[in-house]
Amino acid sequence: MNLPHYNYLTSDFRSYEFYSEGPKGRIKKVITFSRIQEDPAIYNLTLVDINPVSGLTSDLTVSDNGDRDIILATVAYTVKDFSAHYGSHYIYAKGSTPVRTRLYQIGIAGLLEEISIDFDVYGVIEDIAYPFQKNVNYEAFLVKRK
Amino acid sequence: MSTIKKAKSNISYGGGAIVSSDVKSYANDPFIVKKNEEARIAVSKLTLPGTKKK
Repeated sequence: MNLPHYNYLTSDFRSYEFYSEGPKGRIKKVITFSRIQEDPAIYNLTLVDINPVSGLTSDLTVSDNGDRDIILATVAYTVKDFSAHYGSHYIYAKGSTPVRTRLYQIGIAGLLEEISIDFDVYGVIEDIAYPFQKNVNYEAFLVKRK
Repeated sequence: MSTIKKAKSNISYGGGAIVSSDVKSYANDPFIVKKNEEARIAVSKLTLPGTKKK
């Protein structure tokens, strides 16, 4: 995988920080991995913005910074780093709204060849995970490092 | 004489996290805890690849 991505920082390989940069300015973003199921282990991935004034987290902000693919590539690299430290587990991700889930889907489809080098990617429809296919609408996503 | 300051790029290729003790854990952030709880419920109903439908 060799995709342009933002530089990202971590202290524990579970929480990552980076800055999106674009026409709307510099926006601090955080990616977290949290264990939500045992046997098989599944981790939830969250991608949130940090409000620069309040410091509060939110995943409903529309950054519109024109850098979706760079952000998705950054997420992919954090998945890789997380998996290198904690093992190859399923990682679950869902957009905060159907529109955002659809944007993730378009982004994953666009990067699928690169992402598939390192990851198995699945899409969820009605609580069933299927191998990810382009031009299929999914409700959530699962990835697992190969 | 004017000087040109070269901005340090925020974009990389090839991955690799920068380890910094300044990054706090967000594990107990109330918003993230809530998102995890929602995901926990969704995942409990999920049929994973290679398993029988729940």
